[in-house]
Amino acid sequence: MKERIAIIDGLRTPIGKASGKLKNLQAESLGSFVVSELALRVGIDFESYDEVIIGNVAQPGHAANIARVIALKAGFSEKIPAYTVHRNCASGMEAITSASEKILAGRGEIYMAGGVESMSNIPLMFNKKMSALFEAFFHSKSSLEKLKTLSSFTPSHLKPIIGLMQGLTDPLSGLMMGSTAEILAQDFGISRKEQDEYALLSHQKAETAQKNNIFSKEIAPIIYDASKGLMMSDDDGIRYGQSMAKLSKLKAFFDKKNGTVTAANSSQISDAAAAVVLMSESKAKEMGLTPLGYLREYTYAGLDPARMGLGPAYSTAKLLEMSKVTMNDFELIELNEAFASQVLANFAAFESKKYANQHLGRTEALGSIDTNIFNVNGGSIALGHPVGMTGTRLVIHTLKELRRRDKNLGLATLCIGGGQGASMILEVE
Amino acid sequence: MKAFNLSIKNKIATLLFDMENSNVNILSIEVMKELEGILDKLKTAKDIDVLLFKSAKKDIFIAGADISEIKALQDEDVSYEVVRSGQIILRKIALLPFFTVAVIDGACLGGGFELALNCNYRIATENKKTKIGLPEVNLGILPGFGGTQNLKYLIGKQKSIELILGAKLINGKKAQKLKIVDACVPEGYLDFKVKSFVKDILDKNTRKKIDGRRYKENLLERFAPKLIYYFAQKAVIKKTKGKYPAALEVIKLFKETDKLPINEALSFEAFAFARLCVSDISKNLISLYYASERLKHDTFVDKGIKALPIIQTSVIGSGVMGGGIVWLFSNMDRAVRLKARSYESIAASFKHISASYNAIRKRKRLTSREVEHKMDHISYTDSYNGFGNMDFVVEAVVEDKETKQKVYKDLENLIKESCIIASNTSSLSITMLSENMKHPERFIGMHFFNPVSRMPLVEIIAGKQTSDETIATTLKLARDAGKTAVLVGDCAGFLVNRILLPYINECARLFEEGGSIEQIDKTIEDFGMPMGPFILADEVGLDVGYKVSKVLEESYGKRMEVAPILSKLIDMKLLGKKNKKGFYLHNGKEKIVNPSLKSLQFVHKKFDNDEIIDRTMLIMINEAARTLEEGIVENASDLDMAMIMGTGFPPFRGGLLKYADTMGIEKVHLSLLHFEEKYGKRYASSELIVSMAQNKETFYKG
Repeated sequence: MKERIAIIDGLRTPIGKASGKLKNLQAESLGSFVVSELALRVGIDFESYDEVIIGNVAQPGHAANIARVIALKAGFSEKIPAYTVHRNCASGMEAITSASEKILAGRGEIYMAGGVESMSNIPLMFNKKMSALFEAFFHSKSSLEKLKTLSSFTPSHLKPIIGLMQGLTDPLSGLMMGSTAEILAQDFGISRKEQDEYALLSHQKAETAQKNNIFSKEIAPIIYDASKGLMMSDDDGIRYGQSMAKLSKLKAFFDKKNGTVTAANSSQISDAAAAVVLMSESKAKEMGLTPLGYLREYTYAGLDPARMGLGPAYSTAKLLEMSKVTMNDFELIELNEAFASQVLANFAAFESKKYANQHLGRTEALGSIDTNIFNVNGGSIALGHPVGMTGTRLVIHTLKELRRRDKNLGLATLCIGGGQGASMILEVE
Repeated sequence: MKAFNLSIKNKIATLLFDMENSNVNILSIEVMKELEGILDKLKTAKDIDVLLFKSAKKDIFIAGADISEIKALQDEDVSYEVVRSGQIILRKIALLPFFTVAVIDGACLGGGFELALNCNYRIATENKKTKIGLPEVNLGILPGFGGTQNLKYLIGKQKSIELILGAKLINGKKAQKLKIVDACVPEGYLDFKVKSFVKDILDKNTRKKIDGRRYKENLLERFAPKLIYYFAQKAVIKKTKGKYPAALEVIKLFKETDKLPINEALSFEAFAFARLCVSDISKNLISLYYASERLKHDTFVDKGIKALPIIQTSVIGSGVMGGGIVWLFSNMDRAVRLKARSYESIAASFKHISASYNAIRKRKRLTSREVEHKMDHISYTDSYNGFGNMDFVVEAVVEDKETKQKVYKDLENLIKESCIIASNTSSLSITMLSENMKHPERFIGMHFFNPVSRMPLVEIIAGKQTSDETIATTLKLARDAGKTAVLVGDCAGFLVNRILLPYINECARLFEEGGSIEQIDKTIEDFGMPMGPFILADEVGLDVGYKVSKVLEESYGKRMEVAPILSKLIDMKLLGKKNKKGFYLHNGKEKIVNPSLKSLQFVHKKFDNDEIIDRTMLIMINEAARTLEEGIVENASDLDMAMIMGTGFPPFRGGLLKYADTMGIEKVHLSLLHFEEKYGKRYASSELIVSMAQNKETFYKG
């Protein structure tokens, strides 16, 4: 990149368990809340923004181009344009990198970028049979014809398509995301116990972090039920006192017979929104702002959709190549925990020379991941993974944690459904 | 003066109403005469198929009759003649030998609507400014140009009574639904829609269709109109306690004219109008109407001073008032940031804000989507972040000098230079509060009344150093929020509380002297106040009232000495409705006089109702005179408006000082002397009352 992108500040809502506290707030409401709160705190005049870019996966039907809905609800004037980006689980990063590209191309100077997801509100849909029935009914001319059409109704017509499940299924391989995690567990021989141990660690680290108010520095408390005066200020997915005993009770979800991936060693389904304010480093200097940190380099890479979980290995390989940075240089690593097996598979892939040779086009291994600096405050298994939002959260959290530790260089990376990986070098001064 | 232009083209005549040197069209006596001349000529015109009534004024069809002419009417017989001839003139429209159509694109009120009612057809537009209605009862009169009768034939008795008694102004679409207008079209399409409408009424078949859509008398209307009148009467008595005779006259008129042919009925309408229009109540209501119009446009500072644009607002403090102001700003679609000490208190405040919106939604004034959108304007924080872009901050923290000054100090370090800080203090001096500020020129008092969503008054208080720009900006913000704003001087209690609290205090003394709480409350309610003083004290909270009373006592000394009983009540933890115990015991909507008060009352005495009224009103009149004397308020009419808007002082009495005028200032003075002798110095007449009594002056001139 010809110039670093300054991330002036970032903010997020607490992450709510799906169908929990935040279920009555639609994605655009979560988004507008956090976007307006961040804009106010950053203090740059709303009119000075060039555009609002929001990542979102489910793209609710009632708020097409949700970024525009969010911008207007948040109090941006009609003059400020906005658009929505979608790169599956990296949508919240894509918003940031899209804005960065615009800044570097000289298309604008100040951007609001972020990610939102309300997985509680992904609808159930009528199946094809039922849709066809409706269509036939509306086209029936006489009452008799209508009656005839209706008589073809059977209970099977009412079997819904679960939007959430559909969204979490790769259309080409036909695999659910969890099934791709099973494949990785098989590829790398990762046991159920190892996965559960990893999940336990994630909860334990998150519990400590939450008790030490580490997350509250990035969270804006949100009123989720005004009429009852109810407010949420902390992520509610973390299970205090999680144990191996409890984890081992769960049945494998995706492969009921031989599987190892359970709901508890996978990331949680959640609702949340996050946002950051972006501009070039020079613009930040000109405005006399002290940024939270900088985006130094980033990249995306593609791989086999059935093994999408290894995306971080691919994108990080490309990133290191581009930036001449080595794994040893990173002082903090955030790798999204889609599934415990997927994280552990990445551990193996990163340190394997053979894997690097065969898949990443490298002669040497990427470099092993130092677990002391890895997901130090837990990850999506404990906190939840509101898909479109997580990418933005990783950026905010990496920068805030680097600052807290008084360190400089961090890696934020995640795997992307459909077979991609995203990696970012983040810096703090 | 020429008000009408007649043009005829292809047998379509257009009578364009365009009053010279005016932004509006009104039906003055002179205009009516001109209209009569034109109608008399048209009566014999042979080359006309349709006559269109149109207005050349933007957003106005006809704003009504000339209120100043109504105000000037003093004699019942003269008044009768005036409206009777008006009726006859407008009736000539109905008798023209061709079709007539009123094209209503804008305000169509009172006499203007009565004109339109004499046309065969009416077309309205979807223009937001198109408002149709008969608001006469608000001025203590009733529609006198045939409106009651023509409307009755058009839409039936029940709907007519509803519209007239409610003084409801309705938009074009609603008017079409009520079958008041035959069509409602987007204003942009008006020209060609009128053309096709004219074509339709000239064609027998299509005209039949239009006529067929009109109201048809139903069984209730035909056989049991008495039921309609009975329920209307009941509702009016419940709402106005019979204090406003216009509404009752309307019902009576409908009863009397139920079976009468229109020509006879019109004469009844004219008589009823004449009776009402010469009454004191109508005169009072009309003069209040003028006072409120004047107040709406009073800039209080040099007209050239522009208000600053206000986009981002903030409220500090999440108490009842803070939450109310947050609601108000969000409801006017301003971004508003609530800053409170904790998120818990913010969440609690949201409960009230949400309840205010729910109440509006239930009345169908707002949809759920609109409510959600308005609530989206509210952001919240427990620390001073996000204040860099604020344009206007209202401080609504506890009534304590140090706490408030600490807030100003914090704020001045955060906000930009153009940001105004307004205090919602109800009693502390603005100049005193601003003593340590770096920029006292941008500091001002903005005193809202509880509940903010319903009380229309805002007192604006300029301190010694408050700039004119700050005043102009605050004034505009209050008015944009739909409030009536009065600029008042910087003294303890400002205007309304300074006058009202001595009254509450006096009621407490009446109780101490042995008076009965029920009798006092009832007497005062019968006088016309919206609630009795003890109920009011319980509503406000006795601790709050006591605190303000103490501030007043400190500033004004002996004459505002707090009645000892009030502190005893506080000691007994009787705080009013908030803890369900005050002068009354509250249980939901039920309440009974608190029996534990008996221990505080050593004697029992039956007061004369008149004495209760005199003692409580005179103490207010006397204090009001002092505020005038000191220049706390500019004139008697502003003061009266403030008391009506801020305390619900009965409008039919024209205001507190108007009431004093009606009583006679000499009598006011004599009664004060009498009370001073009997009850002490607090009744000592103000200098203004003394001199006015000597010079036989009144608060209202002319």
